[in-house]
Amino acid sequence: MGSGELLTPILMGVMLGGLYALSALGLSMVFGVMRLINLAHGDLVVLASYASYAVMTLLGINPILGLLITVPFMFILGILIQKYLMSKAVTIGTEAPLIIAFGLSLVIQNANQIMWSPQSRGINTVYSQASFHLFGRQLPMIYLLDFLGGIVVMLLLHGFLKWTYMGRAISATAQDTRASKLMGINTKRIYYWAFGIAMISAAVAGTFLGMTFPFTPTSGTTFLTIAFGTVIIGGLGSMLGTFLGGIILGLVQTLSAHFFGANTQMLTVYLIILIILAFRPQGLFGR
Amino acid sequence: MMGYQMHLKPTVLIGFMVPTVLLAILPVVGAPRSWLIYVFLFCIYLAMSNMWNLLAGYSGLVSLCQPAFLGIAGYAMVIGTWMGIPWWIGLIAGTALASIFALLLSNAVFRLTGVYFSIGTLVVPEALRMVFYLWRPVGGAMQGGGAGYMVKGIDGLTTHHFYWMALAVGVASMVIMHIILRSDLGLGLAAVRDNEKSAAASGVRVFRLKAYTFMIAAAVTGLAGAAYYLNSGYIEPSATFNVKWTMTMLLATIIGGVRTEEGPLLGSIVAVILYFLLARYSGYSLLVQGIILIVIMLVSPQGIVGLLRKMTWYCNLTGHVA
Repeated sequence: MGSGELLTPILMGVMLGGLYALSALGLSMVFGVMRLINLAHGDLVVLASYASYAVMTLLGINPILGLLITVPFMFILGILIQKYLMSKAVTIGTEAPLIIAFGLSLVIQNANQIMWSPQSRGINTVYSQASFHLFGRQLPMIYLLDFLGGIVVMLLLHGFLKWTYMGRAISATAQDTRASKLMGINTKRIYYWAFGIAMISAAVAGTFLGMTFPFTPTSGTTFLTIAFGTVIIGGLGSMLGTFLGGIILGLVQTLSAHFFGANTQMLTVYLIILIILAFRPQGLFGR
Repeated sequence: MMGYQMHLKPTVLIGFMVPTVLLAILPVVGAPRSWLIYVFLFCIYLAMSNMWNLLAGYSGLVSLCQPAFLGIAGYAMVIGTWMGIPWWIGLIAGTALASIFALLLSNAVFRLTGVYFSIGTLVVPEALRMVFYLWRPVGGAMQGGGAGYMVKGIDGLTTHHFYWMALAVGVASMVIMHIILRSDLGLGLAAVRDNEKSAAASGVRVFRLKAYTFMIAAAVTGLAGAAYYLNSGYIEPSATFNVKWTMTMLLATIIGGVRTEEGPLLGSIVAVILYFLLARYSGYSLLVQGIILIVIMLVSPQGIVGLLRKMTWYCNLTGHVA
């Protein structure tokens, strides 16, 4: 087997990595600011997939253009979740946010099931069948869009955190909540924003994931695991690490599909995550 | 050092013994079949939620991988019957396997704290479900691909046997909890939960304690799961390694009262009632359970027991000191 045969899965893995990094951004953001891992993140991503599916099938709008509808929807939903559930949960005890997020995850999952039936769906657009050429390989166009979508959102988020007042306030809160309170930052409002922004990235991630893979109401656990794995591999709090983590997981998936068959690809991803958890829980790039 | 001391109010002891005996004679006195099903399910839930309470409530390990234990034990028992091993040896072997699996797993997941632990454990049943879809150890390939198995060679057993088995597991889980919480292990766990670093500094072997609890919880959960699948007579991966099991344990413990001894007992009663109330609306069942879970957590984090303990008569009865 020559290296030429490996080129296709490698290119696809790297591009898929952009998407995985995108789906992990929200998880990383909420953790960075609130020290809370949102167990419902995967199901919220699936919810965004369904929202885009609805926008496409009911309104006939291209799902990428439809982000103008799905992004505000998810943003508002995120703020509501933070306001009415998570902000209360953290005052109860350490395990309360976890259990409430678990409950929320099942509520979303089953609401999706009731509304859309358990059958598998996909967002089929003009890009679904299209392809492009790179290094003499024919690759699916949607993977390129995934990669570009991931990079664009990451750069936007990076710019937002670096150059706007709100973004810098969010970074400050993530670094030291007490100190930022003393500096006059309304941390409660920062939390709303952080969750809202996490949901914006979930909206984009859900839309692109839905265009790339078929999804069901129970895909949330898979998406959460991928997002969590990406964050774990990259180490928390580093955007570059998240990006690299996404690419590593993407490569693991496409290469294991290449070598062991498509049936085992997610199993390999899960095993890699468990192995990394066991030997380097701080992540490959963490200290 | 005293290992264990009995601190039981007579009211509690009688309140525990009398229902146990009454439940044990139910099948003999010709109780309706539906009652037996209710009690069977209650006992299975009770054992599992007691163990989840031990982990999440008393050891600070919010485990989301309980389906892995009951699935491994269940599969071990069922596959055993295919290889000609008697069901009761399979039951014991399954329980042991679940416990060994917990030990192996503890090396990986105990490095993680808090939420990391929970998500690390969440991945385990997912991975196992795929393993059991792809891997068919005995019986050759089956149409459809899913590795489902019927239990073989249990012709001599009746519903009554399954009923008593479940009752024994349920009662045993209550006794185990009672003993653990009053033993050195329980004291050590309390110290670890309150402050892990200072407990370790005072000579508590944190890793070992957690591993013991994890193994005990895995064994009892596995036993209850194997008993459940012995009764249902069929096992397949997607319903076994399913988050529904986790939800049931969580809900029963949290409705009753997490970190209280009697919580899972009261919660399991509610869980069984909910199960049969919601059985008609199967699509909505988990949705409603999720909402109940969130509401209870927000309104009364200590569940029913938390509310009861505000009343003096309840404290007098159980000997609870606020």
